[in-house]
Amino acid sequence: MRTEENNGVPGEDIRIGVYVCMCGGNISDVIDVDRVAAAVGEIAGVTLAKVHPFMCSDPGQQTITEDIKTQKLNRVVVASCSPFLHELTFRTAVGRGGLNPYLYEHVNIREQGSWSHKDDPDGATIKAIRLIAAAIGKLRYAEPLEQIQISNFRRALVIGGGIAGMRSAVDLGKRGIEVLLVEKEPSLGGWVKEWEEIYPTGGKGAELIRRLNEELERLNEVTVLKGVRVSDLSGFVGNYNVTLENAGAGDEAELREVLGNAPYRAQAGAIIVAAGFEPYKPRAGEFGYESFPGVVTLPEFIEGLSEMQIHPEGRIFWRGRTVGSVAFIHCVGSRQIEGVHEKQDDGKINDYCSRTCCTAIVRNAALIRERFPGVHVYDFYQDIRTYGRGHEEIYTSAANTGVTFLRYHGEQPPVVEKGADGALLVRCNDRLTFGEEIEAAVDMVVLGVGMTPGAVGKVSEVLKLPVGADRFLQEVHPKLRPVEVSVNGVFLAGTAQGPMNIEEAFSAAGAAAAKASILLNNSTVQLDPFKANVDDESCIGCERCLSECVYTGALVMKEAKGTDGSTCRKAVVNPGLCVGCGACVAVCPTRAIYVNGWTLSQYEAMVDGLLNAPREGARIENA
Amino acid sequence: MSETQGQRVNGHIRERFDTLVVGGGIAGLESALDLAEQGYRVLVVEKEASIGGKMIALSKVFPTLDCSSCITTPKMSAVAHHENIEIATHTSVTAIEENAGTHRVELVRRPTYVDEDLCIGCSLCEEACPIEYPDPFEEGLGSIRAIAVPFTNAIPQKAVLNPEYCIACGACAKVCPTDAVKFDQEQLIYHVDADSVIIASGFTLNSVYLKPQYNAAMSRNTITPMQLERLLAPHGPYGRVLRPSDGKVPDSIAFVLCAGSRDQSIGVPYCSRVCCMYSIKQAILLSGAVPLADITIYYMDIRAFGKGHEQFYKNAQAMGINFVNGKVARIDNIENNDMSLRIENLETGQVEENRHDLVVLAQGIIPQPVKPDGLNAVAGDDGFVERPEIHRPAWTGMEGVFVAGVAAGPKDIVDSIMDAGAAAAEASGFLSRREEKGKMFF
Ligand SMILES: Cc1cc2nc3c(=O)[nH]c(=O)nc-3n(C[C@H](O)[C@H](O)[C@H](O)COP(=O)(O)OP(=O)(O)OC[C@H]3O[C@@H](n4cnc5c(N)ncnc54)[C@H](O)[C@@H]3O)c2cc1C
Ligand SMILES: Cc1cc2nc3c(=O)[nH]c(=O)nc-3n(C[C@H](O)[C@H](O)[C@H](O)COP(=O)(O)OP(=O)(O)OC[C@H]3O[C@@H](n4cnc5c(N)ncnc54)[C@H](O)[C@@H]3O)c2cc1C
Repeated sequence: MRTEENNGVPGEDIRIGVYVCMCGGNISDVIDVDRVAAAVGEIAGVTLAKVHPFMCSDPGQQTITEDIKTQKLNRVVVASCSPFLHELTFRTAVGRGGLNPYLYEHVNIREQGSWSHKDDPDGATIKAIRLIAAAIGKLRYAEPLEQIQISNFRRALVIGGGIAGMRSAVDLGKRGIEVLLVEKEPSLGGWVKEWEEIYPTGGKGAELIRRLNEELERLNEVTVLKGVRVSDLSGFVGNYNVTLENAGAGDEAELREVLGNAPYRAQAGAIIVAAGFEPYKPRAGEFGYESFPGVVTLPEFIEGLSEMQIHPEGRIFWRGRTVGSVAFIHCVGSRQIEGVHEKQDDGKINDYCSRTCCTAIVRNAALIRERFPGVHVYDFYQDIRTYGRGHEEIYTSAANTGVTFLRYHGEQPPVVEKGADGALLVRCNDRLTFGEEIEAAVDMVVLGVGMTPGAVGKVSEVLKLPVGADRFLQEVHPKLRPVEVSVNGVFLAGTAQGPMNIEEAFSAAGAAAAKASILLNNSTVQLDPFKANVDDESCIGCERCLSECVYTGALVMKEAKGTDGSTCRKAVVNPGLCVGCGACVAVCPTRAIYVNGWTLSQYEAMVDGLLNAPREGARIENA
Repeated sequence: MSETQGQRVNGHIRERFDTLVVGGGIAGLESALDLAEQGYRVLVVEKEASIGGKMIALSKVFPTLDCSSCITTPKMSAVAHHENIEIATHTSVTAIEENAGTHRVELVRRPTYVDEDLCIGCSLCEEACPIEYPDPFEEGLGSIRAIAVPFTNAIPQKAVLNPEYCIACGACAKVCPTDAVKFDQEQLIYHVDADSVIIASGFTLNSVYLKPQYNAAMSRNTITPMQLERLLAPHGPYGRVLRPSDGKVPDSIAFVLCAGSRDQSIGVPYCSRVCCMYSIKQAILLSGAVPLADITIYYMDIRAFGKGHEQFYKNAQAMGINFVNGKVARIDNIENNDMSLRIENLETGQVEENRHDLVVLAQGIIPQPVKPDGLNAVAGDDGFVERPEIHRPAWTGMEGVFVAGVAAGPKDIVDSIMDAGAAAAEASGFLSRREEKGKMFF
């Protein structure tokens, strides 16, 4: 190893440990990790460079913590996968070793190395060396950083009082955490209160809501405001300020009692978005909807169930009509295919599965057969997705009660037409009879409409909540972090995030409550230190940074005393809102602003590292 | 070896916990973290030698195709290092008894014949051991020594001796630098108190031999989906996908869906819920690993219902994976260790005999057989833990006892994680009320 050069940090010997992960072959099958370690080991300040099969495993992490102690390392680099996966893992390990966790750099040589340059192992190896050299350069100028502490208002705002919002509120209330639950409609319960019978229990939707209401009423921690909407919102994790308005059905006296005089304002440390779904609304003419009487959506059919009377011969008598045959059609507004289905207004198709309709349809199909044995029931489906516990039994019972199943191809959805005698004709090529064209003449067609996202409104606008290609709110990680979003302090509960049945919406709501409890458990919130910082001395108050900053409120001007005693204006950063993007740094004429952990000298050192990576980085044959 | 870990894993377990988590799969780990982060003290009991459950052994996960061990290890490690969590591995919960508002729990630690306080996980014993046996972590496809750390990213990193295969030659004890090998170690029975309990004991898979007409017993190339997960894992037993009988690269692979589910005759009338998706995933991964192979999925219904799943299915179709609608009636083993699948193709009405050289049977997901005494009451007709109240999907009906993950019925990772959060929320609510009650009485 070369001798120590001037490393730019006075009074400290830089001792860097570099760890190159093989990722069980994910990296080392492409990148020559030994060559990488040998090359970066040559760089001044690098005390050791090691290769490990799985850095993230416990033995891998322990290598770091032990080397910090025995080799007196004071900086650490791990070259492995994306920082999204393991930056925190290794930062924590560095902390456990007794070092400031921010004296750590993460280098991605998998997603941005071995995976993206599979065909060029030599190039990928050189790239890895250069990226590590850059990180080493950056670390030379790294300083110990502390997390930023901000205050935390220990109350959760739950938006939407369907079953998900109600569940989250109950869970938080039981945990002793104050909750403000706002529902735009005059009553709680969302769609479930409309469902006459719910699968898989067979209970009544209204009864379920009654029981949840009872639980809510027992909890002093929970305040419910009905007929109310969020009209404005500002703030950040731990410190959200919300303004509520009467959505028409609100009780002004109650609002005043809870929140004081209008404008109705409240504070919250965390927000749970439980704004639910809207059933897909078929276009006029889609499967005969709004063109032919007798074509209804599944929610319309369910809402009508209680009015339906039994006619002699076991038929349905409803709204002046006798119904002797019914056809259900699955996947209306779901599993749509480009080129087959017409696009929605926003130019998209609903290519996702709505998850809840299959079981809801087969249950209602069976229900007709049970209550109105004189009615013929046809079920037009692509795949029957009765996946849940107790669902397959519902499917079997529908078949046993005599529902006739017909299977269509996604590319050839059934067609609904008006027959000569006024009956509705449903036609499809039935896969169950090997493609035979089948026509069913029926009195009623029930469209199994899917789910589309509910309107979150203001909150989503202000917080810029991310949505997926399906327009539902999008979580941080679809596998591991399903109820968190990229906005700190905001959580998702229920079908605002994507189709779910009751049981699943309840689970999701519980999970959101658990995450909110963790956040609201303390009176302060810890934030990463990577925020902009203003050097008051150099700030000339030109406000250029302000006009560049897109995070409203992250930068403001304040009055300050200049060195000569005169008052002047200086930029001030609100760490709760600053995301550390660095746009302000780029425009500051006096270099008065920098982002902690990303100073300009660090950038320069990174560029130096990239350009002056060790000679071994050049294309040479491995011995 | 860091001292903290030595103490927390199995070491000197304290006697009282806020929550006992039964099972260290993804559901148990997530519940434990959600509670520990709120300051509750949690004990995670895992019957195997490492935490991580099924997920740590998977190749990649649908529908994101994240490398499974890469996203499981951070959770495992976070649990192992959490100051509020203790872990007891190689330990089963054998009895739980409600007792004056808390739960008296009996734990049995089966001997590993290695003193965990002394073992430093150096693997010298493993290198010295002369005996190899089929590696359970590799689903029997690779081999492991009779004394070994169970797998690379196992937590804890402690050697375990398998007495079924050990010939007591003493080679391991000779090389062990810390004298950790203890041939006379006995099983340890001890008790702890836990105010609340979360059952996260996950699942197992029913036998591929249940359907004699599939003749799996006589075929080495009719494999289980977990075996295929290992074959597809980057650090798997062969490092690539080869068929077990002769190490040949397969060129015609068949997936048989519902091979152990939706079938009254074998006692699993329900849907196992993840097989469609993991088979599609495996098919996608195979088309990368063995690009020349034909891949066919035989199915009844494709149940791609989760977020992003339908698109995943569509991608697989676009990649040329062959989806055939039909139930496989029988599988015969034919020459060259190939298999002939007899199916009624529901699209054409034809009965076909199709030849494949690797067949994967999607087994049914069934509950873990052993339920601790005192928790039998919570099992439903299908053997999974029952939840009497739909609006409290994590509650088992027993005071302070909750359930998370596949222990309450088949589901994928994300749904298990949601469940785990719901169970943690219930448990923390229960514990808070306990504190309040405590305040009232004392
Ligand atoms: C036809 C049909 C039948 C079904 N049958 C069953 C069944 O039998 N069993 C089953 O398990 N599942 C069934 N489901 C699914 C079930 O309805 C959902 O799982 C459930 O409604 C989800 O609850 P949620 O709270 O997420 O959403 P929602 O029920 O949509 O509730 C959301 C609530 O938020 C309110 N809200 C929205 N935006 C705002 C805002 N900006 N501010 C304030 N409040 C707002 C809404 O007014 C509403 O009250 C069915 C679905 C359909 C379409
Ligand atoms: C072949 C296959 C592929 C899959 N692929 C995917 C995929 O790509 N994506 C996806 O989302 N899902 C996938 N899954 C599903 C996934 O494996 C499960 O969702 C997940 O493992 C459930 O986690 P769990 O913690 O509930 O159960 P488990 O993983 O089974 O964990 C339970 C743990 O509890 C322990 N235990 C059991 N009983 C006791 C006891 N009495 N005392 C102490 N400990 C006990 C067990 O040893 C185990 O470690 C797949 C499943 C299979 C079979």
